Amino acid sequence: MLRLEKIGKTYRMGDLVVPVLRGIDLTILRGDYIAIMGASGSGKSTLMNILGCLEQPSEGHYYFDARDITKIADDERTDLRNYRIGFVFQQFNLLPRLTALQNVMLPMVYAGYARGERRQRAQRMLVDVGLADRMANLPSQLSGGQQQRVAIARALVNQPDLVLADEPTGALDSRTGEEVMDLVSGLHQSGITIVLVTHDSGVAACTQRIIRLQDGRIIADG
Amino acid sequence: MALHSAPLRSRSHRTIADLAETLPLAWESLLANRLRSILTMLGVIIGIAAVIAMVSIGRGAQLQTENQLKSLGSNLLFVQSGVATTSSPALLGAGSATTLIWDDAKAIASACESVADVAPVLNRRTQVVHAQLNTSTTVVGTTPEYVRVRDFLPLTGRFFNQIELLRSARVAVLGQTVVDSLGLTPGSALQQTIRIQGEPFTVVGTLEYKGVNSFRDMDDQVFIPLTTMANRIVGVNAVTGIALDSISVSARAAGQMDAAQYQITNLLRLRHRIVPPRQDDFLIRNQADLLSASNSVAGIFTALLGGSAAISLVVGGIGIMNIMLVSVTERTREIGIRRAIGARSSDILLQFMIEAIVLSLCGGLLGVVLGIFSSLLINLALGWKAGLALDALLASLLFCLVIGVFFGAYPARKAALLDPITALRND
Repeated sequence: MLRLEKIGKTYRMGDLVVPVLRGIDLTILRGDYIAIMGASGSGKSTLMNILGCLEQPSEGHYYFDARDITKIADDERTDLRNYRIGFVFQQFNLLPRLTALQNVMLPMVYAGYARGERRQRAQRMLVDVGLADRMANLPSQLSGGQQQRVAIARALVNQPDLVLADEPTGALDSRTGEEVMDLVSGLHQSGITIVLVTHDSGVAACTQRIIRLQDGRIIADG
Repeated sequence: MALHSAPLRSRSHRTIADLAETLPLAWESLLANRLRSILTMLGVIIGIAAVIAMVSIGRGAQLQTENQLKSLGSNLLFVQSGVATTSSPALLGAGSATTLIWDDAKAIASACESVADVAPVLNRRTQVVHAQLNTSTTVVGTTPEYVRVRDFLPLTGRFFNQIELLRSARVAVLGQTVVDSLGLTPGSALQQTIRIQGEPFTVVGTLEYKGVNSFRDMDDQVFIPLTTMANRIVGVNAVTGIALDSISVSARAAGQMDAAQYQITNLLRLRHRIVPPRQDDFLIRNQADLLSASNSVAGIFTALLGGSAAISLVVGGIGIMNIMLVSVTERTREIGIRRAIGARSSDILLQFMIEAIVLSLCGGLLGVVLGIFSSLLINLALGWKAGLALDALLASLLFCLVIGVFFGAYPARKAALLDPITALRND
């Protein structure tokens, strides 16, 4: 489903050119459940951002369903993010002024769903993640675990086939972290491809394939 | 690869959905920063209110001047002595030399078909004294026809008559400002003796209020017979007869104004032996000229007021741009989140544009309310009957929209061009 060919990424900091990723070759199959691990600064978040079409690689090719996304317009990448990819962030990244329901509805606004359908699907999504009675709450009125579930509902609402999670349990205590991981594993069982970044080996143990990064290179895959 | 069950993505449909979604969102974000929003809008509020109030003040002044000019009398022509040096209605050379005499006025009355009444005028600004009080006023020497030409009606007593004119009687008719300045009342003034340049005059009447026009206080005048004026006050009697400052003429009908002007011009040229290339030694102005002159002055006045008010509107627009830039900076993370979950940069552009427009239009509407309120208040205070400047109202609201678009464009563009990942990392 995803294929990375010799992906490299360098950042320019003033005069300094810092290589973050070097020659990454990676293939991700439909239905994979993958953890990317590595020390901080190993480039795992950058790799995640490139997989999520949030960032463009400096070199190499990235094929999403055989389409080279390094060669398509920004609007098309945006649309891919909108209905093929779901994001779950460490800091949840919910919009603070919107209720849980409105947050979940947001991707559908950009996808062009009709108002009634947006509401219906978002409600169903929130029920599925166990927040039936929290829909009208603002993020600030929810616990961390609840916020992350809202974020997961938001990631799933446009029925993506790839979910990217950047340290999904990083800001949660271990019990709620486990609950969230149960939810993520459930998604995998329903056929969604999942890639998560973590440095918690307990979290990585839930997955089926662990990719280790060091200094911008893949040092282990399996 | 299996075909993905993509939702319907009709872009045109989407944009409409966005508008419906963005408007309440924009409203929400204005409410979230209530004080800031109001302060930002204040510039636009004041600007719009000022434009509306200023334009309606200008219009009111114009209407007022018009009414006053009409109150001078109807179908009025003024023949002014002096050399007309320009063709404009603004009289530059007139009055600089005395060329009209009483006989000219008499000739106009008898020879000009289209003329109804003729009143010769000789003025002096001088002191008028009654008891211990004195006032500096304009003493007008004229004939009893003045009453008909200029629509002056006595409030108490009467105007002087033909016999008093022939006898150079020392009788005076007072305007109400003079009555007040001399410590009299319309009733008590009658039969009092006042002194004009030491000469005693008996007050035979007072005139009804005429008000102040743009040239002078019409009530600050004392009327005496022309003969008395020439003999006792001015004290100069030209060999050719009594010299005049001007002659007020009323035409028989509004349609005969041009005819009357033509007849008077010809008659006076004949009497004064003016043959081209010699210039006329008199100038005839009619009410229409005065009206158009005063209207053009009022028009400039209105444009000036409205223009300076419009500048404050632009300043208000800059305020909106400023606050929108702050808002973009503050909400960088929000922009990043929206971009990550599928907002195109055009969606972000639209969102911030709409916020700027909502901000400016809300300010505009509040400004309209304030503007209407203050112009009503001004009209009430000055007793004017100027209507609301509806065109200024619509124009300024439209201007508001333009300001929202113009000053919102740069911040919105800045938001739209933010790199999603940079925006997401922002805290």
